[in-house]
Amino acid sequence: MGVATDTIEVDYRPRAPFRDELYELDGTPRLAAQALIAELGRLGPEGLVDAGRRRDAIFMQQGITFETSGESGSSHERPFPLDLVPRVLTGQEWRAIKRGLAQRIRALNHFVDDIYHAREIVREGLVPWRLVAGCPHFARAVHGIRPPGGVYCHVAGCDLVRDSDGSWRVIEDNVRIPSGISYVLENRAAMARLVPELFASYRVRPVDHYPQLLLRALRSVAPSAESEATVVVWTPGPANSAYFEHAFLARQMGVELVEASDLVVRDDVLYMRTTRGLERVHAVYRRLDDDFVDPLEFMSDSLLGVPGLVRAYRAGSVAIANAFGTGVADDKAIYCFVPEMIRFYLAEEPILENVNTYLLSDREVREHVLDRLGELVVKPTGESGGKGVMIGPHASDQEVARMGERIKAHPERWIAQDVVCLSTAPTVSSDGTLRPCHVDLRPFAVFGESIEIVPGGLTRVALEDGSMIVNSSRGGGSKDTWVLEDGDDADRAGPPIADTQPPALPDLRYGAWMGQQQQQQQQEPQQQQSKGSARVGRKRI
Amino acid sequence: MLARIAHDLYWLGRNLARAEFTARAVEAVFQAEVQGTSDAMPSVSFGSSGLLAMLGDEGERERADNVDALARLTLDADRPGSMLASVERAREGARTVRDVISAEMWEAINTTTLSLRGGGQGGWAPNPRAPAGPYLAAQYVKQRTALIWGVAARTMLRDEAKCFLDAGGTIEVSDMVLRMLRIALPAGEHRAADGHALILLQAVGGFHAYLRAVTAPPNAHPVARFLLFERAYPDSVAACADSLHDAFTTADAGPRNSKPVLRVSRLVADLDFQRRALPDGAELSGICERTQQELARIDGDVAERYFAGATPGQERA
Repeated sequence: MGVATDTIEVDYRPRAPFRDELYELDGTPRLAAQALIAELGRLGPEGLVDAGRRRDAIFMQQGITFETSGESGSSHERPFPLDLVPRVLTGQEWRAIKRGLAQRIRALNHFVDDIYHAREIVREGLVPWRLVAGCPHFARAVHGIRPPGGVYCHVAGCDLVRDSDGSWRVIEDNVRIPSGISYVLENRAAMARLVPELFASYRVRPVDHYPQLLLRALRSVAPSAESEATVVVWTPGPANSAYFEHAFLARQMGVELVEASDLVVRDDVLYMRTTRGLERVHAVYRRLDDDFVDPLEFMSDSLLGVPGLVRAYRAGSVAIANAFGTGVADDKAIYCFVPEMIRFYLAEEPILENVNTYLLSDREVREHVLDRLGELVVKPTGESGGKGVMIGPHASDQEVARMGERIKAHPERWIAQDVVCLSTAPTVSSDGTLRPCHVDLRPFAVFGESIEIVPGGLTRVALEDGSMIVNSSRGGGSKDTWVLEDGDDADRAGPPIADTQPPALPDLRYGAWMGQQQQQQQQEPQQQQSKGSARVGRKRI
Repeated sequence: MLARIAHDLYWLGRNLARAEFTARAVEAVFQAEVQGTSDAMPSVSFGSSGLLAMLGDEGERERADNVDALARLTLDADRPGSMLASVERAREGARTVRDVISAEMWEAINTTTLSLRGGGQGGWAPNPRAPAGPYLAAQYVKQRTALIWGVAARTMLRDEAKCFLDAGGTIEVSDMVLRMLRIALPAGEHRAADGHALILLQAVGGFHAYLRAVTAPPNAHPVARFLLFERAYPDSVAACADSLHDAFTTADAGPRNSKPVLRVSRLVADLDFQRRALPDGAELSGICERTQQELARIDGDVAERYFAGATPGQERA
C-alpha cells in the first residue's frame, strides 16, 4: 500500500501505555493503516466535521437513532453515534480471532448440551453444580431436550478486548440474544456513502451477507421435511430498545416480524395467524429472554409469551434460536470455566484467553479481592449492558467501600476481574481533530450447519475521555470494522469481481422528432437518421 | 392528439425512467465497489465497467478509477449516458409539451434539472465534487423522479397523453432491466451465474420486493427469473410488457389490427409461456437477448404507427 507523497500530517498521539489500533507507540501509523491515515489527513478536520454533519442527517432521515434520556428525564432521539475513523484488522489478525471464536462457541454449545443432559463436566468436578443451578438463566424446563443438529447457540457474539501486549482476550460471552449486528451493516453502508475515499487503497471484506447467513442457518435447523421452512423473527414489540434491529433483520431476510399475539400453539405445533388462517412456523429467531417466552413454563405473568411454546419445542416441531436455557453458558460466573470447557469437550488449548477473573463465593479468593478492590473491576453476574459495573481505579474510595459491603452481603452475585488495558483507536472529536478512545470488538457468529463469522463485527468506542465503558446505553459509540483482504485467504470463496467483457448490447436510443417540413427539406432522410443524437433534439428548440 | 406531442411524451417517459435507473445503478455499484468481495459468497459481476457498458459509454472505457467513472455518470451533461443528461433531455421534452402536462409536473421536472445543474442549490448536495456526490445525487434523482411520476398520476387526465408517457416509461424500464441482466449474466458463464445477485436487486430497487416474493436466496438465477417473469413486481419485464399492452390498447384507435399492440400481446404471452415452461436454473441469457430485440421492434412499430413515421428511437452512429 503506497502512501501518496502529498500526505498531510495528522496530528495524533497514541496514549501510552495503551496499544493503539492504527498507530505504533512511537506515533507512526501501522503498516496496514498508512493509506487510511493519509486519506484522513487529506480530508482534514473540516472534511471530517462536514461528513459528520451529513452522517447525522442521513441517520435521522433513515431513522437509525436511539433514545437517550436527558437529565430532566425527557427523552431525545439522537442519531446513532458512528465514528468516521474505521478500525482496521489485517487478514492475519482476523483469522486468529475467527478460529478462536469458533472454538469457543463450539465449546459453549457443548456445555449447554451437557448441562441439560449428562452433566459430565459437573461429574468430572470441573464446574461446580451449585454455580450452574444458581445461575438465574438455568432453565429446568428444557432438561433433556436436544434441538435439531444439536445446535443451541445459533447466534453468538463474544466481546473481545485487546491488551497492551496486543493479545486478544474475551471479556464476555453473549449466547442469549446478542444485539448490534444491524449497526455493523448500517455503519458499513453509511461509511461507503460518506467517506468513500477512505476505502480507496483497500479491499475491505463485506458484511452485508449476514442476513442470508442467518436465514440459511435458521432454515438448516428447522424441522420441515417436505416444504421450504417458514422462519419468523419474534420481537417483544416496538417499545423494545432493539426494535430497529428486529425489524431490520426481518426485512433483510424477507421473513415476518411477529409479536406474541401473532403466534399460537395448537397440538404442540406453532402457528402464526395470517389473513389466510393459521400458518405453521418451523423456526423462530426470538429476540426476547427465556423468562418471557412461555407463561406456562417460565414467568407465569409474562404477557409477551406464547403459552405452550416450550411444549411445542419439546415435541421437536419448532426450532428456537437461540435455544431456551443457553443463558447458563454466558453467565459471568460460568465465564471463568470456558477455557476448561474447551480443554474438556474439544481436547484443544484455548486460542483466545480469558481475563483473570475471581469468583467471590470462595472465601479465600474473596478476602484477597476485598483487599485490593480498588485495582479491580467488579461486575454483577446476572446483568448485561455495563449496568452496575465498578471500575476500581476510576472509582472513589466511598464507592469502593460501598461495593465491598455489597460483595460481603451477596458474594455470589458479583465477580471481580483484573483491569484490562483496552486498546485505543483514533476517534473524531467535535472539532474534527483525532483523539485516542478505548475500543472493544463484538464479532457475530452464526451456527447452523457450520459456524460462520461475519468479517469484523461491532467495534464499540468509549467516547468520553479515558472512559473504558463502551456500551451505547452508557455514552458509547461505534466504529466501522474493516477486515482486509490479504490475498492468501484460504476461506475466501470466489475470485474478486472480475472485469469480464460484457456482451455487445444495442446502443442506447435517444428520441428525436423530425417534423414533416424538416423531413421534406432533407434530401436524404436516411443520412439524417444515422446522425441523430441527443444534440439534434436539443438544437431544434 | 398530435403525433409530435405523442412522440415527445413517449420520450419524456423514457428519459425520466432512464434517469431513475441510472441513479439506482450508480448507487448500487458505488456501494459494492468500495468494498471487497465476500468470503462467504461470490457475486455476479457488475462493476463500474458493466455500468458504463449498460449506459452505452463503452467506447470510452479508458480505465478511469471508479469515483471518476461514477462522477461522469452522475453529473456530466456532455456524456449522453449521465443522469444529468437524461434529466436535461426530459426537461427539453417537457418544454415542448408544457400545454399537455400539468403546470405542477413541469415545475417538478424543471426544479429537478435546475438544482442538479446548479450543483444542488436548495437541492441535493452542498458541493457537487464532494465525495458523497454520487450517493446524494442518486438519492435526489430517485426521489424526484418518484415525485414527478406521482404528480403525473394525480394531475394528468388518463387519456392518450398519459398513455404515451407511461408507455415510454415502461419500455425504458424493461430495456434497462434487460441490459443489466445481460451484463451480469453473460451467456455460458457459469462461475458468475452461481453468485449472489444482491447488486442487481439493489440496482433496480427490487431487493425488498424480492425477499417478500421469493423464498430462494438472492442468487443469480432466481433473481433473473424474478426480474424477468414476476408480474407482481412493477419493474419486471413481464409487468412492463403488461402495462405497455394496456397503454397501447387504450391509446390506439384500432387496437385489433395495430402492429405495436399485436407485438406486445405476443411478448406478454411469450414471457408467460417461458415462465411456466422453463425449468429452474435454465439459461436465461437467450431470452433476455430476444426480448430486448423484440422491444426494439416494438419501438420501431410505435414510431411508424403513432409518430407519423418519425424516425424511431435513433441509434447513435
